[in-house]
Formats: sequence, C-alpha cells, structure tokens
Amino acid sequence: MTVVAIDGGRGLALCTNGDGRRFTVETALVEPVAIGDVLLVHAGTAIAPGAPA
Amino acid sequence: MRFVDEFRDADLGQVLAGEILSLVEPGRHYKLMEVCGGHTHSIYKYGVDDLLPANVELVHGPGCPVCVIPMGRVDDGIALAHEPGVIFTCFGDMMRVPGSSGSLLDAKADGADIRMVYSPLDALRIAKQNPDREVVFFAIGFETTAPSTALTLKRARIEGVANFSCMCSHVTIVPPLRALLESPDLRLDGFIGPGHVSTIVGARPFEFIPADYGKPVVISGFEPLDILQGVQMILRQLADGRCEVENQYKRVVPYQGNLRALEVMAEVFELRPHFEWRGLGFISHSGLKISDAYAELDAERRFSVPGVRVADPKACQCGEVLKGVIKPWECKVFGTACTPERPIGTCMVSSEGACAAYYNYGRFAREREVV
Repeated sequence: MTVVAIDGGRGLALCTNGDGRRFTVETALVEPVAIGDVLLVHAGTAIAPGAPA
Repeated sequence: MRFVDEFRDADLGQVLAGEILSLVEPGRHYKLMEVCGGHTHSIYKYGVDDLLPANVELVHGPGCPVCVIPMGRVDDGIALAHEPGVIFTCFGDMMRVPGSSGSLLDAKADGADIRMVYSPLDALRIAKQNPDREVVFFAIGFETTAPSTALTLKRARIEGVANFSCMCSHVTIVPPLRALLESPDLRLDGFIGPGHVSTIVGARPFEFIPADYGKPVVISGFEPLDILQGVQMILRQLADGRCEVENQYKRVVPYQGNLRALEVMAEVFELRPHFEWRGLGFISHSGLKISDAYAELDAERRFSVPGVRVADPKACQCGEVLKGVIKPWECKVFGTACTPERPIGTCMVSSEGACAAYYNYGRFAREREVV
C-alpha cells in the first residue's frame, strides 16, 4: 500500500491499495514513514517497507 | 524489479524452469514443502508446479492460519459470541470455519452479534463506538499477524478502551515444522520458507532445519518468479551438497526480522505450554496467550470460555493435507461433500488453504490430465 497521509501523533497512516481503496494503517513497526512510501501491510499493520507496487 | 508485473514475467519464468530442469538428477524424486498458505495459493493460481519437472513435487505445509484452528476453538468463539452484550469480531475467513455445530456465520444468522473486520484496529474502533457493549476480537494467525494484535492491545490500554478484549489464538511456525520433521510419515528434501512470517521473525529461527535435520530452507516471496527462484535455490543447494537458510525475499525480509515487532510481541504475549492444531494435535509451545501484564484485555480471563475439545470429522482429512501427507484431491470429500461454498474442513475455507486453492485453480488442469 502507498502512504497518502500521516497521523504521526497516533502512529497511523492513511494508505491506498492498488484498487484505490483507502485503509488506516498502524505504522509503529516501520516508522518513520513518509507520504509516497510503499509499505507491506498485514492485518492493518505495516510490517515492512518496500513491497513492489 | 519494482512492479508486481515484473515478478510474473513468463519469459523469465521459462528461464528459471530451464535452470531448475538442469539441476535435478534424473531418477531422483525431490519433495519440497512450501510452508506458507500464501505460497500454496500462488502456486495453484499461477500454475507454478506446471513449470517444474515431474520429479520435483511441491507439498503443502501447515502455514495457513485459518486452516490450523481446531473445531473446539471455533466452538469457544461461538460461545463467547452468544454472551449477553458481546460484539464478537473476527476476520472474514474465520466466520466460515466449521465448528462442531456450525460456524460463526451460522451463529450470526442465529442472532449473535458477530462482525467481520479487516484488522484488530477495526475491532478497537467498534469498541470505541459501542462503549456500552463488550467487544471481543478473535485473534488468529502466525507471527505475521500477532504484532498487529499486540499493537492494538497496547493502543486499547493507552486509550483506556475498557470494553475491548481479545481471544488470542495466535500460533507460531517453528514448533509445527519441527513436529513435521520428526514425523515418520513424511520425507522432505527442503523447505520454501514462509516469506511474511520471516519479515517478523527473520531467518534465524529456521537455522535448526539445516543444522539438526540437514535440509535446505529458502525463504521466498509470493510472486511466481519468487517461488520458482526459491525452488531453484533449494535444488542448487542440493546439487552442491550444501544445506543452509537462504533468503530469496531480501526485498522485504531482513535476516534479523523486525525487532520492533518482536519486542512488542514479547511484551504482550507469552507462549502457551501447548496448543491444539487442527489435524496435528497438541504441539508444545506453539501458541501464544496474552501475558499477565495485559490480563485485563484477555477475553479468556474476562469471560468464561468453555475450552471445548472436539475431534475432527472422520471424513475430513485436513490433518493429512496440512502435514503434506496427501494432496487435496486425495481427500475423500474433496470437491464433493466439501467445497468452498460448503466446507467441511478448514483447508477448504481460506483462500490460503490448500484445498480451496486447488479447488479454485488446479482442479481443471487435473481434470484435463485425467481425461
């Protein structure tokens, strides 16, 4: 998923998947994240950076 | 490579298939286990096994999180869902797993307030929206999913969400692999290691496989070229007389894993002395429970959970499928009494289950062969 907005205070990011759907994602395990980063997300939590788009 | 399409390139697939063919010894049969249900799904979806020589056999491992949940645990979940005032939340696949007298979906039809969520965070949001109700999250999955549950429990505590709790059924991947390697039923030549579990735990936990059992492990990604390259790397090790843990999925898996995830898991969970696996029985230190430090968020302490033990249906051979002893189509009820629409066994429920993957993608190829 790609990060489109960050709620740094709560450790959350708004991410979009390949279909354009948006999800709230927990980012504590991969911080820091930036808008445009691609994350591997599992069960609502980013577990690794850099999965292919 | 940057885009998913590049990992599905047919020409590159043929090149890898040629390399695999050049590595196998004629007359030798190679049996490789793909540990993860995600691999099983990709293998059938993309026809990866069609590109392998006839003497390279892929067998399916115990790495589908839904498939390994025993019927008794489903019954426990249903009992909790029927508690007055409870909103019971779980992942979609889990709702269809049969218990001894129906699934969570059946219980929902009977009036229990059971809701599908995509993440534990969704369940926590439901709890915040319903402060007068008790919200229970049915947590399942391997080390890939466990950090998500752990972070949500920490968040629930920080945000003071007192009506949220978790029925923890998380499991760990190493104990069943050791159990399989000790099993006299199964002779394996190597393992396609689990990609996303390794994102969390790293490669080190699998070092016992080459060290103690002399089998190569290649942690692999989930695209067709990843899996083909994983097979090629295992066969290369065998041809060279090596056996070690290699990491094909370096673009996502660091050798040491995700240290933050391991830390949060160690804080929130502790190992159960033993945990029951569907078809595999009780395996020591293979399940996680919520630690004493987070006891107030443990649904099994907050409510009275029956702790039901139920034998698997006699017709269902999920256990043998999960151990790689039989192929899905060799099960007595595959595709007849047991289908994705009306599953008897868990392997037919989840898209990562070997039976569902084979039913959806592989059965037509096999039917062509038979004809």
